[in-house]
Amino acid sequence: MTSTGEPSLLQSPGVPAPAASPTPVGVPLPPAEDDPGWFQRAVFYEVFVRGFFDSDDDGIGDLRGLTAKLDYLQWLGVDCLWLLPFYPSPMRDGGYDIADYREVHPDYGSVDDLRQLLGEAHRRGIRVIADLVINHTSDAHPWFVESRQSRDNPKADWYVWNDDDQRWPEARVVFVDTEKSNWAFDPQREQYYWHRFYAHQPDLNYDNPEVVEAMLEVVRYWLDLGLDGFRLDAVPFLYQRDGTSGENLPETHAFIRRLRSVIDADYPGRILLAEANGWPADVADYFGDGDECHLCFHFPLMPRLFMAVRREQRYPITEILAQTPDAPEGAQWAIFLRNHDELTLEMVTEEERDYLFAEYAKDPRMKRHMGIGRRLAPLLDRDRRLTELLYSLLLSLPGSPVLYYGDEVQMGDNLYLGDRDSVRTPMQWTPDRNGGFSRADFASLYLPPLMDPVYGFAAVNVEAQQRNPSSFLHWLRRMLHLRRQFPVFGTGAFEVVPCSNPSVLAYVRTGAEPDGTSMLCVHNLSRFGQPADLYLGPWTARQPVELLGRVPFPLVGSDPYPVTLAPYGFWWFELTEPAPLLADTPPAVAAVLADGAPPAVTPAPADGGSA
Amino acid sequence: MSPVRTVETSGHALPEGAYPALAEALATLAARHPEWLLPVLPGGVPVPPTVPPIDLAAAPGTVNEPVMALGAGSTVLAGDVTVRAADVVVPGRPGVVSVVATVRGRTVHAVLGLRPPGAETFPLPDADEAPVGILDLDDGLAVVSDALTDAQLCQALLGALLGEDGDIDRVRRAWMSDESTAIAYDDRVALAVYGRLPPEPAPHPGLEMYLALDEAGFNHVAAPIARWRRGQWDLGVVHEYEPGAAGGWALALTSLRDLYASGGPPERAGADFGPEARRLGRMTARLHLGLDAAFGRRSGDVAAWVDAVERSVAPVAPELLGDPEVADLLTTLRSVAVPCPAIRTHGDFHLGRVERTDLGWFVFDFSPGGTPVFGAGTVPPGLRAGADAAGPVYRSPLADVADMLWSFRHVADTAAAERDPTGRLGLASLARLWEVRNRRAFLSGYLATPGIRGLVPPARGLARNLAAAFELERTAAKRALHA
Repeated sequence: MTSTGEPSLLQSPGVPAPAASPTPVGVPLPPAEDDPGWFQRAVFYEVFVRGFFDSDDDGIGDLRGLTAKLDYLQWLGVDCLWLLPFYPSPMRDGGYDIADYREVHPDYGSVDDLRQLLGEAHRRGIRVIADLVINHTSDAHPWFVESRQSRDNPKADWYVWNDDDQRWPEARVVFVDTEKSNWAFDPQREQYYWHRFYAHQPDLNYDNPEVVEAMLEVVRYWLDLGLDGFRLDAVPFLYQRDGTSGENLPETHAFIRRLRSVIDADYPGRILLAEANGWPADVADYFGDGDECHLCFHFPLMPRLFMAVRREQRYPITEILAQTPDAPEGAQWAIFLRNHDELTLEMVTEEERDYLFAEYAKDPRMKRHMGIGRRLAPLLDRDRRLTELLYSLLLSLPGSPVLYYGDEVQMGDNLYLGDRDSVRTPMQWTPDRNGGFSRADFASLYLPPLMDPVYGFAAVNVEAQQRNPSSFLHWLRRMLHLRRQFPVFGTGAFEVVPCSNPSVLAYVRTGAEPDGTSMLCVHNLSRFGQPADLYLGPWTARQPVELLGRVPFPLVGSDPYPVTLAPYGFWWFELTEPAPLLADTPPAVAAVLADGAPPAVTPAPADGGSA
Repeated sequence: MSPVRTVETSGHALPEGAYPALAEALATLAARHPEWLLPVLPGGVPVPPTVPPIDLAAAPGTVNEPVMALGAGSTVLAGDVTVRAADVVVPGRPGVVSVVATVRGRTVHAVLGLRPPGAETFPLPDADEAPVGILDLDDGLAVVSDALTDAQLCQALLGALLGEDGDIDRVRRAWMSDESTAIAYDDRVALAVYGRLPPEPAPHPGLEMYLALDEAGFNHVAAPIARWRRGQWDLGVVHEYEPGAAGGWALALTSLRDLYASGGPPERAGADFGPEARRLGRMTARLHLGLDAAFGRRSGDVAAWVDAVERSVAPVAPELLGDPEVADLLTTLRSVAVPCPAIRTHGDFHLGRVERTDLGWFVFDFSPGGTPVFGAGTVPPGLRAGADAAGPVYRSPLADVADMLWSFRHVADTAAAERDPTGRLGLASLARLWEVRNRRAFLSGYLATPGIRGLVPPARGLARNLAAAFELERTAAKRALHA
């Protein structure tokens, strides 16, 4: 790995150098158009710019701050950053209420700061995508300010207006705990406007071609600046039609195809990631025939991962995967454990929701909308083994994994903060003042950092974990770097391996020919040790080699393959073709027998023990 | 869904001159098949009166493990074997022959492989593939072996049954029970071969039930592909194979493991079984609706069922009948004048007969074939179909429900006893809570299934009492096994 210039895993991490100094740059990033499938192998890292690092001591994280932490992110081993909205906004919904599509929020810096961030990230082999909210704007956006003036101004039809609030009753209210209706009355224009989310977020009218053109211009603007793509927020809601739920309409797909054609024509290799919370079979429509979004979030999988480990059985996971269509060629699912929103429970049955609330939101304060407002570590009661198990699933199941900032050091949450701020507290870098996030006065921080004895920055921070080789941060980093060596985790086919122990989930990821790498991943979803007999028929006579230690395991025979798993234990095996006659031979002997050729399955250990 | 293929293999018989040599071979093979000498189990076939009935199925989780053969231990000689039929299934060498014979009064079925002397064999792992004899036939000498121990012979057999040479990479033994041996092909298709047959040619009642349910559209079963027959005898069945399924018993244990480790009310335990029990209840209701569709319903006589329960319980647990509450229950039920719907039931329906797959719960074992596994010999004629005293039994579907409810108790108690043999940890009371929780969940799933209300007694009290009576029978059966 060192030959590529990437930092070695053995390298003492220390505190990353500030970005201003000349930076030893990692893997040179090929232009996106030369590697259009990059996103299928990438690990994404979701950054809340506001909460990441404050470079100018004003108590609010900013783009320069993020740039300063790129060395850390490169060291960690992520491939693409996903920035939450950084646009000017009244900040009534974490920036998802955009007031200007072509500017950077002054709290975060300037467009030039973004340009610099993109350049520095690309030099480190990291791509950057950003949230783009196309469904609605803030009510402070000049378009809406103009639109609400009268019924005949130039922007009058840029939003969805109606004389009464009775139209489209079939459309559900998304934020059921705060909004009563999808319509809100505007006293100025004396009409109702349509909003699928908060009342301060009026929906744009995509039936107006001017709106479509304006949004395409916005997309071009940021891609010209160097952004590698967008996460499209709330994508199913773009259009409204009588007698429908106003979700996933054909018109919406037509717009996305239009957007995609712009990207394919002028910005090849850039990506669209759809946020469409729905059943996999419905969401897969957003892949189109490979002519809509490159990536779609797989929402229903996530709560079922949490269910499976509490239920100690694999069926919640295997059932939803069995219902998940394959992404078309050149597209990919995006999977995650936690994100900036609540752990959403829309895509489970009522019974399952009750169950998950009972298991993971024992305190009613933990509930948010139709979900649970907690970070990963508190959800799992900081169980290190369980956390590792869930990350092992995340990194090996089909789909591009999306990590959430702070979860790599097992950050906690603050349930006493409103809405979804509970999981958006400042990143904890050091045990110093404000957790190293900012040198501003504590009182001026956008949110208080965690200071409790368990999750507070004195106990949980990047610096301490970088110094401790057995920390969770180091473990995750090892896994990310390991995963990166094997593109099969990103692009390989997926096949569940039959096993009669219901607590064990095993599957094989197989790369396309000629690569043909096969990875066997075995997970124990129980907190008790478990045996498993795996039906590895198609891989008979292969040799499983444990990936972290490159330890060869016994050959796969014609009987079910026995595997023993520790509580919440897991294995990643490469199923290698053993060299003929050498499979059971010690490496040293095998090397001799193979006439000097190194044995296929047992590369000499780095410490030269068998040399 | 393609129709199930029926394959008849009596067309090409071996000459009777080969029978003495075949008898020798079967005598040798009998040493490897102690189950051949077991009493014939219920399932439409009367148990010889001298041998007490054995409730193999009353111990879920162990149903497929052979029990010690009664009367085994003495060597079977060729003179003990009478060959009744020997049919060529796969001609040539290697070839496969299906033999039906009587061994010490039991009717058995063996599948033999024929190879030229010295030919290569392909033994399956852990199988005793040693030759059992030699045949001198018109087309030359043949070494005889147990075909179900050899990959090549198993593959040829499947090819003959499916009428096509499939592209099979792997053959292995999936399971062996007292009733059948199953071979899995590529872990996709299984061939179950019945080793024990009724004395006179008759269809296998469990197989008939399975096929009829599939035909009726009940899709909680592995899809059948081919039925292997010789005249009226069923010799085996080819069906889809779901190797990733987990048994109901194993799934219940994951829940109990968690509960017993953490305590607290079972509905609050992480591995709560309630939703699974509810789904299982729904599947059970669909099973009964399928049986109703396939075999029809008739008007049942509650008093006759109570008689049957009493007759079953009296010999093994007379003290149960002496219990005032039980006596009360039976008296109350006897006085019921309303007729209740009666259908063919599974007959031995418990956690050991069902399995969880990615498609939900499946029934994977119909071996009692609708005859109540306990008290088969004492079923009063009133329960039989029509005037035929040997016809299928029609009972309230609540009999199956009672079996399953009983099995919830059984698994909870078994798991508690393993962990808390002295009772000091108090797991027995947790077991009760778990049982109650999952009984409720099962019943709510069962009764909420559209259509099922027409099959159970309309009055709640009556349904509850009737189920309790059937459960009494099951409890006695278990007690009999351990007596």
